[in-house]
Amino acid sequence: MKGLNRFLGGLAVAGGLLSAGAALAEPFKVGVCYDLSKAYTFATPQVAQAAQDLGKLVNMRGGIGGEPVEVIVRDHGNEPQRGIECYSRLRREGVFVFDTLSTPVSLAILPRAMEDQVILMQSLVGRGDAVDGTVFDWVYPVGPTYWGQAANNIAYIKQLHDGDLSGVKVGFVYFDYPFGQEPIEILQTLAKKEGFELLLYPVPLPGSDQAGVWSKMRRDNPDHIISWMLGGAHVVAAKEMARNRIPIDKYISVNWLNEVDIGNIGKEAAKGLKRGTNVVGGLDAPLRQVMMAELYDKGQGSGPIVNTEDVFYNTGLAMYSIIFEAASRAAEQGGLPITPQSFKAALETLVDYDANGMMAPITVTAEDHGGGGKTRIEMWDGETWVPQTDWIAAYTDVVWEVVRESSSKYGQ
Amino acid sequence: MFYRLSGVHHADYVSDSRIYKVPADRNLAVFILVIGLAAPFIIPSLYLNSYILPWLIWSAAALGLNLVTGWAGQLHLGYAAVMAVGAYSAIHAARFGVPWEFALIIGGLASSVIGSLFAFAALRVKGLYLALTTLAMQFVMDWVLTHSPAITGGSHASLQSPTLALLGQPITSDAGYYYVAFGWCLMVTIFMLNLKRSALGRALVAVREKDYAAAILGVNSFYYKILAFATSSFIAGVSGALLVAAFFFLAAPEQFSVAVSIQVLAMVIVGGLGSIIGTYFGVALILLVPGIVNGIFATTSANLGLQVDVETLAHMPNAVYGALIVIILLIEPLGLGKLYGNIRDYLMIWPFDQFRK
Repeated sequence: MKGLNRFLGGLAVAGGLLSAGAALAEPFKVGVCYDLSKAYTFATPQVAQAAQDLGKLVNMRGGIGGEPVEVIVRDHGNEPQRGIECYSRLRREGVFVFDTLSTPVSLAILPRAMEDQVILMQSLVGRGDAVDGTVFDWVYPVGPTYWGQAANNIAYIKQLHDGDLSGVKVGFVYFDYPFGQEPIEILQTLAKKEGFELLLYPVPLPGSDQAGVWSKMRRDNPDHIISWMLGGAHVVAAKEMARNRIPIDKYISVNWLNEVDIGNIGKEAAKGLKRGTNVVGGLDAPLRQVMMAELYDKGQGSGPIVNTEDVFYNTGLAMYSIIFEAASRAAEQGGLPITPQSFKAALETLVDYDANGMMAPITVTAEDHGGGGKTRIEMWDGETWVPQTDWIAAYTDVVWEVVRESSSKYGQ
Repeated sequence: MFYRLSGVHHADYVSDSRIYKVPADRNLAVFILVIGLAAPFIIPSLYLNSYILPWLIWSAAALGLNLVTGWAGQLHLGYAAVMAVGAYSAIHAARFGVPWEFALIIGGLASSVIGSLFAFAALRVKGLYLALTTLAMQFVMDWVLTHSPAITGGSHASLQSPTLALLGQPITSDAGYYYVAFGWCLMVTIFMLNLKRSALGRALVAVREKDYAAAILGVNSFYYKILAFATSSFIAGVSGALLVAAFFFLAAPEQFSVAVSIQVLAMVIVGGLGSIIGTYFGVALILLVPGIVNGIFATTSANLGLQVDVETLAHMPNAVYGALIVIILLIEPLGLGKLYGNIRDYLMIWPFDQFRK
């Protein structure tokens, strides 16, 4: 019945829009192949829920080009072969925009997406050098790279020290595997350039034992601590900081820290804690308010409301706003049906797009698929996130040097 | 009736040492071989590429683990690490310009060397201690991979594989990748089938059952253990290299993590230690069933119009899959291979066994 309704509705709209005899356009579909059962579950439910909510909102407002959109969520359990299966299966169902939110799966899909010429959105995961659009035509990691994010954190610290970093000690505590190791190179370059002292503190996975790291930190006494860890490891870090009497306001986290972690640290105990982010934290973002009014107040949300009181829900709204905005532009510019080519062209027309105040303004170009890589620092004040800086993208020349050095090796 | 036999009787040594002691088994094998050869023409490419191709490569790899765990009786928890050695060596060799045929052999040999080096250290201990030592090998390899950008390909730790080419022919089509995997799996299977009836195979079984007793019989158990590790590592290395060259197209440390090691061991145990056909079933269950069950749940809930939230939908198949493993091992602790064997033995003399009772 539902299918019939949709069919009739689609037929009516198509009949209105297109000249007689034109084929029925395929609805625009987004393939959300996520890890909903293993390693990434600290963030995937919230992001997937945001994707579904946005899809609903778009459909309530008449779809894209008069066609309803479809958000297809599948679990891949963070296993590359299941990710590839999800990709191949959905691609045959007509999906050409994919997101995996998993680094191993994104890496596994990337060569296929490049070969098949379909869009791989990989905000915040996968290889960071894919922002180089001259090499990675079909990959759009819209948002900051970890390199850019780390550089922006240094820019923030520089602001705190009135533009002079000489003699400042910056500690970098990180998961000792590629995710955590990624920013080291750029931090070392900046340490040389700005004259601050960089101290490295590797944490073995899964980060539940950090006692040695933080007692060493107490001896070294760095002025600022940049942290590249995930989920529960932040909580362990906060406990160890308290034990070693290191004030929590020295802690600047990577974007992967949410309200659940804050709750586990303790709302009061976490006061002063900072995180780098490319989306607006807290409950007041305009787009989130729209979601509340249009969906959750009417009981039509795609999941529990507690998932929406989470910065990763905001992250999801930001990521999928970009996709639906690009799709609707593609429908305007290239007409229906939307093709990978017209979607790609539309993505590259986004200029200072911020999804109605949801995130850092992005400008996607054929060269820069990251959209500029702006982030800001937000501080937890005990109740909500308070921005400490404007949206900044600092040291872009240094960041792009690292990007190009790495991307130039692709395909060799 | 199906097998047209009333039991298996041997009148001479030649018939006793045949690979297929029952003609119907041989006919079945030939039938599967023909289906395997025709697969690209009769199976849609989605299933060929997303299910059958990884299934074949993993089956070859799991057969290698079955050699060391099922035949020689040595528990191995670092199998994925050995596969990683082969994959990375072969890709680096191929990137260096070595033809793929030799790159694959280099990968296999490198795995063999590293695998038997560890075996040297590990074989001073037995049983659970050996399991822990091989697990340590896995962690050493994980550490080496995540700390050597030169091996793993830069700060993202992803190393791209050059296009696979065999006998001067670049392989880029779905069917091409399939035939490479099929050929390798076939080679390993034929090797394993013959292992059963060779002196090496018998020596391995002797070592497995009791290494002291084997030594008294004149079987040098240490030598055969090393040989088992070296052979299985070779198979692991080539399988790992093919997995990257024909399926993933790039190598990343996560593809060979400790979770993968445990998965391969699970394939072998669920399939049946020392069973070749069981290994195929075990790989299918561990590798493919989660995805298939997931798909069934997703389509069913969509067709019924259920509003199940995505997390529940992702976890329910896992519960079903876990229950499936428990039920299978409860019904037949010796694994899927034995389950198949039971059915085959029942049908062997059916319906005449009814008269006997």
